Amino acid sequence: MADRDAMDEGVSSEEAARNDEDSTPREAWQIGTSHRKVDAMERMRGVTRYTDDLKLPGMLHCKIKRSPHAHANIVSLDTSKAMAMEGVFGVVTGKDFPEPYGVIPWTPDENALCVEKVCHVGDGIAAVAAVDEDTANAAIDAIEVEYEVLPAYYDPQEALAEDAVSINPWSRKGNNLSKDVVLEFGDPDAAIAGAELIVQGDYHFEGTTHAAIEPHCAVASVEPGSGVLTVWSATQVSHYLHRELAKVLKLAAHRIRVIQPPLGGAFGGKSEPFDLEFCVAKLAMMTGRPVKCLYTREEVFYSHRGRHPMKMNYKTGFTKDGKITGVASRTFLDGGAYSSFGLVTTYYSGQLLCAPYDFPTYRFHSTRAYTNKPACGPKRGHGSVQPRFAMEIQLDKAAVELGLDPIELRRRNEIGSNRATVNGLMVGSNGFLDCLASVERRSEWTSRRATLGYGRGLGIAGSTYISGTNYPIYPNEMPQAAVQICLDRSGRARVFSGANDIGQGSNTMLAVITSEELGLPLEDIRVLSADSDLCPVDLGAYSSRITLMVGNACLDAAKKLRRKVCGAVAKRWEVPRKRVTLAGRRAIDIEDPERNVPLAEAFQWAEADHGLLGETGSYNTPKDRHGSYRGGTIGASPAYSFTAHLAEVNVDDETGVVNVERIWCAHDCGRALSRKIVEGQIEGSSYMGFGEALMEEHLVDAAHSGVHAGPSLLDYRIPTSVDTPDIEAIIVEAPDAQGPYGAKEAGEGPLHSSIPAIANAIYDAVGVRLDRLPFSPPRVLAAIEDRKAREASGELAPHKDSPDDEKRSA
Amino acid sequence: MAEPRLLQLRINGDAHHVAAPSHWTLLEVLRYELDLIGTKQGCDKGDCGACTVQVDGHPVLSCLTLACQAQGRTVQTVEGLGFSSPSGCHPLQDAFDRYDAAQCGFCTPGILMSAHAMFERLGRPVTREEAKEGIAGNLCRCTGYTKIIDAIVDASERVFEGASPATADEVATHG
Amino acid sequence: MLRLPQFGIETPSTVEDAVRLLKTPGARVVAGGTDILPNLKHLLDTPPVLVSLAAVSALREVKVEEGALLIGAAVTLTEVSEHPLVREHAPSLAQAAGLVAGPLHRNMGTLGGNVNLDVRCRYVNQTKFWRDALGGGCLKSEGNVCFVVPKGRNCVAALSADTVPVLVSLDATFDLVGGETPRTTDAQDYYRADGIHHIVKEPEELMIAVRIPLAQSPRRATYTKWSVRQSIDFPLVSAALRFDLETDSPHGVVTAVKVVVGVLNPRPRVVGKLDDVLGKKLSDPAVARIVSEAVHKQCKPLENVPYEAPYRRSMLKVLTRRAVEGLSQ
Repeated sequence: MADRDAMDEGVSSEEAARNDEDSTPREAWQIGTSHRKVDAMERMRGVTRYTDDLKLPGMLHCKIKRSPHAHANIVSLDTSKAMAMEGVFGVVTGKDFPEPYGVIPWTPDENALCVEKVCHVGDGIAAVAAVDEDTANAAIDAIEVEYEVLPAYYDPQEALAEDAVSINPWSRKGNNLSKDVVLEFGDPDAAIAGAELIVQGDYHFEGTTHAAIEPHCAVASVEPGSGVLTVWSATQVSHYLHRELAKVLKLAAHRIRVIQPPLGGAFGGKSEPFDLEFCVAKLAMMTGRPVKCLYTREEVFYSHRGRHPMKMNYKTGFTKDGKITGVASRTFLDGGAYSSFGLVTTYYSGQLLCAPYDFPTYRFHSTRAYTNKPACGPKRGHGSVQPRFAMEIQLDKAAVELGLDPIELRRRNEIGSNRATVNGLMVGSNGFLDCLASVERRSEWTSRRATLGYGRGLGIAGSTYISGTNYPIYPNEMPQAAVQICLDRSGRARVFSGANDIGQGSNTMLAVITSEELGLPLEDIRVLSADSDLCPVDLGAYSSRITLMVGNACLDAAKKLRRKVCGAVAKRWEVPRKRVTLAGRRAIDIEDPERNVPLAEAFQWAEADHGLLGETGSYNTPKDRHGSYRGGTIGASPAYSFTAHLAEVNVDDETGVVNVERIWCAHDCGRALSRKIVEGQIEGSSYMGFGEALMEEHLVDAAHSGVHAGPSLLDYRIPTSVDTPDIEAIIVEAPDAQGPYGAKEAGEGPLHSSIPAIANAIYDAVGVRLDRLPFSPPRVLAAIEDRKAREASGELAPHKDSPDDEKRSA
Repeated sequence: MAEPRLLQLRINGDAHHVAAPSHWTLLEVLRYELDLIGTKQGCDKGDCGACTVQVDGHPVLSCLTLACQAQGRTVQTVEGLGFSSPSGCHPLQDAFDRYDAAQCGFCTPGILMSAHAMFERLGRPVTREEAKEGIAGNLCRCTGYTKIIDAIVDASERVFEGASPATADEVATHG
Repeated sequence: MLRLPQFGIETPSTVEDAVRLLKTPGARVVAGGTDILPNLKHLLDTPPVLVSLAAVSALREVKVEEGALLIGAAVTLTEVSEHPLVREHAPSLAQAAGLVAGPLHRNMGTLGGNVNLDVRCRYVNQTKFWRDALGGGCLKSEGNVCFVVPKGRNCVAALSADTVPVLVSLDATFDLVGGETPRTTDAQDYYRADGIHHIVKEPEELMIAVRIPLAQSPRRATYTKWSVRQSIDFPLVSAALRFDLETDSPHGVVTAVKVVVGVLNPRPRVVGKLDDVLGKKLSDPAVARIVSEAVHKQCKPLENVPYEAPYRRSMLKVLTRRAVEGLSQ
């Protein structure tokens, strides 16, 4: 968007729109305010049809038979009894899906259903379509399977042992190695060895899962004659589902229509194809009838793709002033049975750590292993929440050792804006210092921290995250995002976008941008999204890419239309186009606001001049903002968000129960396009981190055949309203040149620092470091008792003054 | 298949006659027989609250209520919530919309039914603590509950405009 | 969705009809449904018929009668927690009822249902698929091993009802009909240490009421519980405490004491050897110490529910001490 002056009637409308930034600078009339979402009211009235609310004539119900073994060869599989049952219309097994797939094209290592072996408890091996769910369940039970049980591995380092049996059937590396990444920048060993302070720590982040309230669901239907397959799925990446369906079903992509109905939460848990989509599609093709599959909650836990367990060792060097001299890490990732996004996760476990702090030297070595567990993948804050936990505790330890205020230590290391990180990623705008200052001020950190007695504490942490990735999952030169907007003579806009609204409000974001540019209120804008027959391709709701990328594409299309409409009005008023603006459902003469017409009329003039008013907009990422080394593009993003979290806790030193009383979260989202939606993302992220910090743990029971430790929303505890602390969301705006109106991401960044802020607050309260998640009462109590014993022996001084009774009861 | 039973249910004020197998829950009858899809299914077994409806005014889990047990009772679902308002939406729904309290919206119908029942029970503006207690059986994974609580408190102040706020004693009892 | 197995259902409107229908072999009672329906979804039982108490209005009374507070078995836990008579005469019961699971469960679940709540175990309350993956279930489901006590021949699933320790502590009795003769059992004798049949009620018997003798002297009683979340969860640590006093004051002298602990095994544990408490003022720090140390000594949680047993044991000590301290303030 270089040349703001060019305005040449001779150039094509597209070029002009690209060059002609806007006719006149003007006050935003929508951006930065709050909005009712375009699609929330119908959800609240119970009218919206989510995937399980779809009902088609003659629809069959699909159930999937799953492995009771963590690791076994399938010796025989007999479906004949199931097939013979009344009400059963079709049965499929792994043999119906020989083509392996994987959301990352370099690692196609799973089949829609297991072919020769099963790799975790809950792995799918066969599916039936029957007249109702009860019949389908009975048919599943009638399928006979003989297994040869194999040794199972639940720990990445055990799985990597030389004599371990290979788990993944498509793995080419051997030894259950999924991915190994070593990247070094400068000489961290020397820099750390020569540092005035070396902080070293081992951290263990046990996995967690998404637990969206809507279980996965898919429906498929085949049109007789044309054979066009339609798949409705509760997915957050329609396009990747589309591609993998074509590959596995061996159908041309244009003969498949993928529709994402309104979605009941995802958080990364619906960001790749799952067995149910392939099964309903194949069964619909086989039976000629529509087929639905709705996961049970237990199956949602087996589909997982949640946060990887990571065992991390960190060494960090500091000067006595608290400046970081170098960072070195060694990380083992527990990948579960399949790759999922694991190649990227392995890189992200190191690549995304290099802001908001500047460090001159860095090395990370991350190794992902296959294990006999449900596959891990991307969960909100993909790959970088775990190392952030380690890093922010390292900083806190250094602050204590050096006698520095932990906020001050972070300030001293702040990377600044328009700077390259040590690993060559280009940071644009950076509001991190404002984030730190905001939470510092709101929490009254300086005055209160000094006075809180034993048991009470404040903790700080910072973080950064990407606003999408500069390189898509499959290499191509096409735009990363595209939007089509149509205006009609009634004075209405229709926005067509492939983007997946998963509850984060992307449909509303598109309406806000369209509204801002075209002067229509939100209620005059219809957003049609995530239907591959109607909408341009978008890559999906992952890596926090939609606001920046799809927003830019939408802005591109909307500006082109704005130019046409303003031009048509200007022509009739015989004024320069830049004198015309669009706002409040009217076209207005800026110099003589009394002169204005309803937008519908303006649209009619423009349609008379140009024909039907439709424009497309595209966005592609910059390709020059990354390191020039193998893997250097991974983690490269057009813009980075920044976050600071401050948590206040009350720790019961007799029970180990941690009560998080309040969380302040300041997040630099570049520019808040819609304030309440941004606040909601900050609050939801902080909440999710809080749950992971205190109670969530996605575990399989290694001592009991690898069963899941509790695949239900009773045993996998996510916080209720009465457990959740008050969360104060603070929007910080450091507009980035890459984002629409300066906007960056807000949906994932604010999760990261939630967890270490709580860990650091616990330290402030009772003087113990929690290096393992979650901070369950038994763990916290054990750490407190250990500290008390060391205090009693004289090894440690008391952490804080013992509270008097008044303080304790406060 | 067990013999279906003919049930008479009063749902959102309307009389319905519906045949359902005796092992069907109220949730299944609402969603799959009557197409009242606003009531959601999240966890299978009473752990999440997405299926909350009111039976005789009490918010309950429709996934653990056998359809037969609702025979002759008054059932209210989210679809009926706006019926009494000329605008077609209850002040709670309006407040949720203004506060962006529904992100994915999947838990929202259940939360609305819990909050609405609390309004009916207390008949006055609610405190933040009461709002939290009132929806403590409904899991939300998107919002962190903050905006939900904001919206419930705001809506209660509008619905009960002029009513006296909670007394300290009431707060102690219900908070 | 996780399906219920198929069953017939009966909806009697009188206790007599309910009792008659319960004579069908394998028939089970359903009231609130919050316990039995998840268990049926898990295929822990496949009864041919369920007898619903939804229409039996006679079981929903709360009244004071013959020196006792009588609560009908089908009174909901919400009603128990809020009822003025319960709050007056059995405040620790109102407290415990108000702490059961979440508000939706309490609106549905009944006192009778909580009293008869099936015992729970991490290896039991899972789907049939899960138990197959575990290796074919355990003593309480379809297997013949115990995963909590290796080589154990006795099911040690945990009594997880919040109201039960309280009712035992208050010397409650339960009215049962449907057997050869109507009978009344002491709550304390109602539970057995066998997780397969953890209550003495016969399958054809129906619990119709809970009776709590009115206190004959000033009393302080409370219930303490730990669960990870403040709503929805079952208790992982639970104890009920009752002190009868000479005078209605925190400094009143203790004339009788009863402390009952749950979530150990199938049976509530009545803590013994508390005689040293008698004659001391409730506010005497020695009382809290004696009680909490006795609880800690006598109660040994098992690995039958989540969170480590040694931790839960140490929590029993802390929570019971604090409970006594709370009562004497």
